[in-house]
Amino acid sequence: MTTLRTALEILALVAFGYFAVLNTIYLVFTGLAWRAVRRYRLARSYSAVDEAFASPLTPPVSVLLPAFNEEAGIVESVRSLLGLRYPEFEIIVVNDGSVDGTLTRLAEAFELVPARKAIRASLPCARVRAAYASRRHPELWVIDKENGGKSDALNCGIDAARYPYFCAVDADAILEEDALLRVAKPILDDPGLVAATGGIVRIANGCRVDHGRVTNVRLPRSKLAVLQVVEYFRAFLVGRVGWSGMRSLLIISGAFGLFRRNLVEAAGGYAQGAVGEDVELVLRLHRYLRERGEEYRIEFVPDPVAWTEAPEDFATLSRQRRRWQRGLGEALWRHRRVAFNPRYGLLGTLAVPYFLLFELVGPIVELVGYPAVVASAALGTLSPAFFVAFFVTAVLVGVFLSVSALLLEEFSFRRYGDDGDAVRMVLAAIGENLGYRQLVTFWRVLGIVDMARRRKGWGAMRRRGLGYAPVGGASKGR
Amino acid sequence: MSIDALVWAALALTAAGSFCAYVLSVRRLYLLRSDRRHRAGEERLATVTAALAEGDLPRADEPSEADLELVAELLARYSRQLTGDARSNIAGFFESHGLVGREVAHLGDRRSWRRACAAFLLGDMGSPQALNPLLRALDDSSREVRSAAARSLGLLGSGQAVEPLVHALVERRVPRAIGGQALLTLGSEALGPLRPLLLHREPNVRAAVVELVGLLGDAGDARLLTSRLRDSAAEVRAKAARALGRLGAEEATIELREALGDRIGFVRANAAVALGLVGDRASASALLEVARSDEFDPAQAAARALSRLYPQLLWSAARDRTSGPHLAEAADLTAAAR
Repeated sequence: MTTLRTALEILALVAFGYFAVLNTIYLVFTGLAWRAVRRYRLARSYSAVDEAFASPLTPPVSVLLPAFNEEAGIVESVRSLLGLRYPEFEIIVVNDGSVDGTLTRLAEAFELVPARKAIRASLPCARVRAAYASRRHPELWVIDKENGGKSDALNCGIDAARYPYFCAVDADAILEEDALLRVAKPILDDPGLVAATGGIVRIANGCRVDHGRVTNVRLPRSKLAVLQVVEYFRAFLVGRVGWSGMRSLLIISGAFGLFRRNLVEAAGGYAQGAVGEDVELVLRLHRYLRERGEEYRIEFVPDPVAWTEAPEDFATLSRQRRRWQRGLGEALWRHRRVAFNPRYGLLGTLAVPYFLLFELVGPIVELVGYPAVVASAALGTLSPAFFVAFFVTAVLVGVFLSVSALLLEEFSFRRYGDDGDAVRMVLAAIGENLGYRQLVTFWRVLGIVDMARRRKGWGAMRRRGLGYAPVGGASKGR
Repeated sequence: MSIDALVWAALALTAAGSFCAYVLSVRRLYLLRSDRRHRAGEERLATVTAALAEGDLPRADEPSEADLELVAELLARYSRQLTGDARSNIAGFFESHGLVGREVAHLGDRRSWRRACAAFLLGDMGSPQALNPLLRALDDSSREVRSAAARSLGLLGSGQAVEPLVHALVERRVPRAIGGQALLTLGSEALGPLRPLLLHREPNVRAAVVELVGLLGDAGDARLLTSRLRDSAAEVRAKAARALGRLGAEEATIELREALGDRIGFVRANAAVALGLVGDRASASALLEVARSDEFDPAQAAARALSRLYPQLLWSAARDRTSGPHLAEAADLTAAAR
């Protein structure tokens, strides 16, 4: 019994320590994010985006759209891309062996005709079956290949790209008109220095989408999707802004990221079979550049938006979160030598250790911590009053962090103009700490189990499509 | 960790969270009212603003300070799309209401974002009074301020800004895209100070200048640019080829054809693009050879150039299955576009 008590006491102590350190980090990041977002917002008023649009000096970009069973939203996504405000770009849709009507829908909507396409063989990818050019849009290509996964499809797109930069976009994402210009702004300012940039991902469920444009931003009806809206604010406006400011950004969302093509090719392209291909590529670029002693920047830009569809049912959400966790784990394992290695600067001494200890292993500590604290209280090693005070404080910290992220959104970009939506977001910021987060933690632990069991594949994703289309399914970035 | 500490932390968090929610709702209410006011003001003042841009200065009543700010905002927005008298009228409005002076004063603010905003706005205002303060702002300690000043100097359209802008560009005090775009906005006036820099000792500067001369210059610049096709830096040779293509420099076709044999792939690719733009049909066989046998980028560029110059030759060559993927791609693209 004494051993059990001691073990519980140790576990409870670890849980308290973990809680204190993690939330201190979150609070520091919230402070950093306020500073950075405010600065970015001010800089927007003199960012000269119109001039960049008109300039022949703005570098052309190849937009890559990997698609697997995306019949529900692919047409809207391509339409949104065709309407981008950018001087010169091409769109390459890579149909990754879809078994639904993805290709048919594209062919009908954009008058595709078979055309031979030259493909570099610089990166490995599955066999290309055919390529199609559009009669109506000379800048649009569709490549039909055998299924090989998202990384494989992106590698195929890179192999087919003409331009020096490529922008990877999820097939169910809708980019805002200026999104590409804004995400490319750091490259225009420092073309030799910036290796990659990423924009923000927002949830499109509930928004009105018309001809590939989000015309009215509203919250989703589904409570589960509203919780994710608040969660995304925290992840993007706080987390990514903070890491980007410290030059240690680890994740550029697979849904929307711009990369220098020759650098990605030199680093070996997207890792075949990786489910966290976005974090893996960014980590590899960091390593590639740091090991060569090159000066570089990988930046997050908080303004350009890719709207994507969030899961509205528990089963799909759980599959998504398990996959994200597995992807993170695989990427960190693949690049484990970076962790705690001062050779990699803040990336090795702070960012990767943080992701390892708090984002990867953290959910296990949290999940073990809950019963340990309850058991300690039950066995009397922890006073009930302390237990209640701790529980209340833990919930309140979570609420505070979520509400401050909402406030950050309100003072910066304020996309949700409806007052009723604002009230619902505040309620979600409170509610997500009472069950939702714990559920996500549980799914993340299952993701670690999946990783340990070497589980492969993406799992089916149920989609409705942003253009009011029926059903679908695909892979998407975090 | 004591219970007291936790209780205090919980109280503090409750207070902070409540404060955030309070600020959120107050801000919503404030924005709702100010947005409504702003929209109504814009509608009310749209006619006055358009009249001001036309040069009709209604003198009946002095506008209120709020209206003045709103008119200034609308005029600044219009001025980006205007030139000539309308732009001078707008500048006159800003000068007469002391707004140019106010922004010039802001160029001395200790906060860099405020200085950058002022530098940016002065470009929209279009007043010649801002020229010297903006030229000084090119030496500001903040890169953002220097960039905004460079952009505004381009919009002011004064030849006096050319040399300082070129120097700022060469010394990398402003980003290449912004400095370059400012010089492009200034137009052919920028060519005089740019031409000598074609021989600058730094390859990066030569490359940037070659590109700008290609965008701003005329047929007379072809000779200068042709000599850069033999530059020691590949980047300069590539930009020179592209610039000659943009200028449609027929007299450079022999050198451009020679550049198809350059040892660097992207120079060959740019030479191929240029030959397509110049419209030199005599290069067809050389382009065909590059499209068939060269590495990816030059071969693709050559095939596309051929599709501009000689589509029949392209189609007949593409029928041959051994002609490689680039000719086939270009042929199919041309067919799809028909």
